Amino acid sequence: MALLKREEWQQYVRDVNWTYSYVDDEAVYPEWHSGTGKVPRSAWLTWEEDYKVTYPEYVATQRDKESSAYAVKAALQRSTTFDHLDEGWKSSTKMHFGGVALVEYAAVLGELKMARFGLNAAWRNMATFGQLDELRHAQITTFFGHEFVKKDPQYDWTQKTFHMDNWVPISLRNLFDGMMIAPNVVDLAIALPFTFETGFTNLQFVALSADALEAGDVNFANMISSIQTDEARHSQQGGPTMEILVEHDPVRAQWIIDKNFWGSARAFAALTGPAMDYYTPLEHRKQSYREFMEEWIIDQFVHTIEDYGLKKPWFWDEFMRGLDTWHHGLHMGLWFWRPTLWWRPKAAVSKDERDWLREKYPNWETVYGDKWDVIIDNINNNNVEATLPETLPWLCSMCNLPCCNAVQARNGRWRVPEWSLTYDGKTFQFCSNACRQIWWKDRDNVNHETLIDRFLAGQIQPMDVGGILTHMGLTPEVMGDDPDYEAWTKDYAGRPATGIAAVAAPAGQEGA
Amino acid sequence: MTGTVELGVEDQAPQPVPLNAVFATDFVQILVPVTTADTMREVAAAVAHHAEGKRVRAQPYEKVVFHHGRRLPPEMTVAEAGIQPLEHVRVEYDVPEGAQ
Repeated sequence: MALLKREEWQQYVRDVNWTYSYVDDEAVYPEWHSGTGKVPRSAWLTWEEDYKVTYPEYVATQRDKESSAYAVKAALQRSTTFDHLDEGWKSSTKMHFGGVALVEYAAVLGELKMARFGLNAAWRNMATFGQLDELRHAQITTFFGHEFVKKDPQYDWTQKTFHMDNWVPISLRNLFDGMMIAPNVVDLAIALPFTFETGFTNLQFVALSADALEAGDVNFANMISSIQTDEARHSQQGGPTMEILVEHDPVRAQWIIDKNFWGSARAFAALTGPAMDYYTPLEHRKQSYREFMEEWIIDQFVHTIEDYGLKKPWFWDEFMRGLDTWHHGLHMGLWFWRPTLWWRPKAAVSKDERDWLREKYPNWETVYGDKWDVIIDNINNNNVEATLPETLPWLCSMCNLPCCNAVQARNGRWRVPEWSLTYDGKTFQFCSNACRQIWWKDRDNVNHETLIDRFLAGQIQPMDVGGILTHMGLTPEVMGDDPDYEAWTKDYAGRPATGIAAVAAPAGQEGA
Repeated sequence: MTGTVELGVEDQAPQPVPLNAVFATDFVQILVPVTTADTMREVAAAVAHHAEGKRVRAQPYEKVVFHHGRRLPPEMTVAEAGIQPLEHVRVEYDVPEGAQ
C-alpha cells in the first residue's frame, strides 16, 4: 500500500482538538497554567507554526544528528585535542557545561507544560517535540562534559552545578525558574522561546560554535551545532503565541518581554561577557562582547519587537550603557571571588589585552584599569593574599549577581550607586534601577534568597569564608584560581608600587 | 515598687548591623558586618579593610562615611546615626581641597 504524502494527512493530525463532555474545560486547562488572560479562547484556534514537522521526520532527523555528534566525539576521544586547548577556552566550556546542562532539563519541564496546557493542539504538538529536544540537550551536554571529569575534576560541575547553593547557580535558578517553572504557558512561550531562545541563545550558540572551532575544540562545536538546529525549530513556538497575545493584550506582552530580556541580558553579561572579552585568547577574538550584542542580539531583537508593534523596553538606555560596564565588573568579581568558581578565570589584563579592551571600550581604563593595577602590583609584590576575598560581594535581590555596575555621575566620576527599597520592614539592595523595578512589580512571586540572605539568616556555618565555600559546594581540588598569573602581570613587573596592601605576616609571626 | 527603665542607645548591648558598603572607587558593593556601638571611624576602617590597597590604591587621607547622602561625624556611632541592617553606606577619602 502506498503511503500518503505528508501534505495529504498532516493537516488532520497536527491540530486535533476535541470538545470535552465529562469534565469542564477549566479543569483541563486551568487558568493558572494555561494563562489566556484577556485573550479570548477562540483566538488560540489561529495559532500556527511556520515550520511544520511530523513525528517520523522528527525521529529520522534527530537520529542522524545524534549519530553524527557521537561519531565525532568517539573519534576525537582517541586524540589529544583536549590536552592542547587553551585554559581560557576550557574555562568557557566548564561555565557552559555547568551553567547549561540542567537548564536544558528545566526546559524539558517548560516544554512539557506547554505540551499539556497550551490552548491549541498544534502548539501542544510542537511543544512535545520541544521537550524531546530539550531532553536530548540535557543528555548530550551532560554526557559530553562528563567525559572530561577524569582529566579535570572541575568538569564534575557539569552535573553538580544546579544542585549546589553556589551563587552562580542560585542566580541561574532564579532566572530560569522565573522563565520556565513559575509562569503559565503563554508567559512561558514569550519568555523562553520568544525572548530567550530566539533573542539570545540561538545566535549565541552560532557564535559559540564558531569560537569553539577557532579554539580547536571540534567536539564542543559539534555538540553546540547539533543542539542549535533543534533550538531553531522549537523556538518558533514564540512567534505565533506572540501574535495572538499582542493583538489582545499588548501591555502584558511588553512586560513579559521586557523583564525576560533584562534577566537574560544580566546572565549573558555574567557568563558570555567574560568568556568573549577575557577568557578567549587575544588572537582568537573576532569581536568584543559589546559588538556581538549589538550585531547579533540588539538589532535583531529591536526589529522583532517593532514588527509586533511593541516598543523598546523602558530600561533601554540603562541596558545600552551597561554594555560598557556590566560584564567588566562581573569579570573582576568572578576573578576576585575565584575560589567560589568551578573554572579557572584568567584575568587577561596584560598590556596587549588592555590595548584591545581600551580600543573596544574607551572608558575601560578609567573605570577598571586602576583596580587591576592595584591587583597587579599586589601580585608582583608577592601578595596574592591581598587579592583573595574575605567577605561576600553584595548580591542583587533580583538577579542574584554582584552589585557591581559602575555609573558615571554628572561630575564625571564613576561610582557603583545604591539602588535600594524598603518593603515590609526590610531593606533590599539591587544592582540596577531595572532590577529594582522588576523585583517591585514581581515581589509577590517566588524570589530565591540570595547568598547574602542565607548568610545573614545563619544558614551558612561557620560564618566565614571557609563556611561560605563549603556551603557553595567548593572542594579544594575544584576551587577556581587564575591559571597563569605571570601571563598578565609580567608586563608590569618591577614598576614602583605605592598604596598597596601590606604583606600579611606569616602564621605565628603576627605582631613580630 | 517595680518598673522598667528605657535604656538609651549608649547603654544597650551592641547589636550586629550587616551593611551593604562600597569603598570609594571600588567596583563592587560588599557585605560588611559592624555593630551598633561602632563609630563611623571604625565603620570606615571595616569597609576599607576589604578594598583599600587591594583594589583601590590607598591614599593618605581620613576616611568618611556617607549614609543616605549625609556625611557622618567620625565619633558618631551606628546606633546614633540610625543606620539600619542591610542599608547602604559609602566610604570616601576626605581629600583636602586642592589635593590630587
